[in-house]
Amino acid sequence: MAIVGGDCDACHNIFPGMMEKTHTGKAFQYVLKNEFCVNCHSNTTSDTIKILGGNRVPVVHSTVPPINPLAGGNFFYVAKDFGDRKGHNVDGITSMDMKFRNLPPGYSRKSDPSYIGYDPQKNLMCAGSNGCHGDRNIEDPFASIMGTHHALDKPLDGSTIARSYRFLGNTSATKGVTGIEDSGWNRKGSAANHNEYSKSIDLICTGCHGDYHNTEKKTGAWFRHPVGVPVPSRGDYLNYTSYNTDAPVARETLPAASGSDINHDRDSVMCLSCHVAHASPYESMLRWDYDKVSTEGRGGCNICHSGK
Amino acid sequence: MPFRKMKRYFINFFLFFCFFAIYCLLPTDVNAKAKGRCKDCHSMHYSKEGSEVTYASRQGPFPSMTIGGCLGCHGQNPSGAQNIIVQGRMRIPQIIHAMGNGDLAGGNYYYVADGYNPDYSKGHNVRGISLQEPPPMNIPPGFLESVTIPGGSGPSSWPSFRQLACAGTYGCHGNRTIEDEFGAMHGAHHEDDSAIDGSTVGKSYRFLFGIAGKEHKDWEYLAAADNHNGYKGDQTHASMSTISYLCGECHGKFHPHPNLGGSSEVGHAYNSLWRRHPSDISFAGVHGGYIGSEYQGYVQYNLESPVAYQNPAGNETAVDVDSIIMCLSCHRAHASPYPDILRWDYSKAEAGGGDTGKGCLVCHTKKSQ
Repeated sequence: MAIVGGDCDACHNIFPGMMEKTHTGKAFQYVLKNEFCVNCHSNTTSDTIKILGGNRVPVVHSTVPPINPLAGGNFFYVAKDFGDRKGHNVDGITSMDMKFRNLPPGYSRKSDPSYIGYDPQKNLMCAGSNGCHGDRNIEDPFASIMGTHHALDKPLDGSTIARSYRFLGNTSATKGVTGIEDSGWNRKGSAANHNEYSKSIDLICTGCHGDYHNTEKKTGAWFRHPVGVPVPSRGDYLNYTSYNTDAPVARETLPAASGSDINHDRDSVMCLSCHVAHASPYESMLRWDYDKVSTEGRGGCNICHSGK
Repeated sequence: MPFRKMKRYFINFFLFFCFFAIYCLLPTDVNAKAKGRCKDCHSMHYSKEGSEVTYASRQGPFPSMTIGGCLGCHGQNPSGAQNIIVQGRMRIPQIIHAMGNGDLAGGNYYYVADGYNPDYSKGHNVRGISLQEPPPMNIPPGFLESVTIPGGSGPSSWPSFRQLACAGTYGCHGNRTIEDEFGAMHGAHHEDDSAIDGSTVGKSYRFLFGIAGKEHKDWEYLAAADNHNGYKGDQTHASMSTISYLCGECHGKFHPHPNLGGSSEVGHAYNSLWRRHPSDISFAGVHGGYIGSEYQGYVQYNLESPVAYQNPAGNETAVDVDSIIMCLSCHRAHASPYPDILRWDYSKAEAGGGDTGKGCLVCHTKKSQ
């Protein structure tokens, strides 16, 4: 993710009070905090990359149907009246999920690395202890991500929030996510050019959905679909040979650049192999319509489970 | 083109289209390989709308991410009247149901299931269906330790607390060298099973690892003398692929195969009296010889006392000197309305009553006189 430069006003002067002087070391006391991220990263057209102050800004929320949603999906599908099951109900975009009522399914406090922990009494946010991005040891979403857009973001080694993949920094006490960021946020992702994920991406999901990330060593069959385990080099899995952005894998060792190879026994299944992070047109934020995935089809589950 | 010819073309095309459409809509089930939507059988995270779901009071999460484990698919409605449930493109045999005259080839666990006026003498007490039987029936009668089974050895002991499962080391289906019942069945439902040769679990008769045979497409519902399961037998005891060997893996003393009880427990073919009723013995091996024996009276395949064949095809109608007696000639595999999981009421089987063609007397024809 490139360091943001250019016209300050494009981002910082669009809300009253944002450019006022504040105390050193303290976060700005912005108004409409819950909408600040959303406003820069939203678009009223179907384009999913927009130009703001000379910067290319990834659009995570479109108010009209997006064309070529980015890797994380698009909150359009949960912001409209499509139902809560298609995306994360992020504050500022849509209201609280009426079924989960802000409690992440599968939440396990011991799996949440945040000192503060997720608070179901409060809404899901873009960042902070009740969000995904930034430092999750800080509750305030702005404070948790403060400075990252202007900080040096290379190498992407997870050492700081800014140097974490897509500012997914976990906490100040834990390493952030590593990966290779596609310069177009996968808008034109292909087998050869795409985000590259490391297994660390799962830890972001685990923070709130820990019960789904079963790392216990089991000798028998899986109880929940595993993540963080290598794609086996046997049976039908061997038919998955070329990277498919509909079922991406996490690399054991990140390559120098993205590639189309699938390394069995090394590349892992991850949460994002099936789900997108923000929202998708499909229930459970899946990359495909699970209701229609059939043993006679080719997409969806069949990308890995081709023999079925 | 003349109108009449065009009309004929149109009618032909329409009929073809109708037949094709009907064919496409029918559940395809020539073999048992699972087809259709993943969601019909699997739940990825055991979570629905944020809640953990239960299936007929069974709580998960369930292995292999199944919806309710084995019984979630094969015991969907124990008090219901469907012996085969169509789900998506699959036809799923129900091992427990309350359909009249609908018991499938393996029988019906309804007779032994807790909650349905069970009689534990009438079936195998499988975990999830019935409680474990008290001693001595908590251990398979005739159990032998560490017998040779397809893929390795059977259990070196049967712990008294270990209840029978559907599959795995302490079950019948799947690879019995693997203790975990779902691990033992892993992948079997998705394997190409067009050829049943026992080479893998998926390619084994009814997923009974190592067993060969021919599977009746309706699990013997409305089976006929010329259209039935084809059971594999072997008079020479040179293989482990017979249906009776599968039974002998747990009830070893009851099978004459040298890997199991052998002649010392069961007796010799041809030249001795039996100690126990034999299985995997053809009529050629009966004491005194086949010619002139009562077994010559059993000439047409009888679903009440089926026989096995060396190379079963499932459409045999003739019973002759080479037909093979098996465990399933008398018993069901799962449960039946009768004690000892028999196919008939043994207490009413009576010699000299002229009651031919029933029970024991299907084979022992002269004893009916």
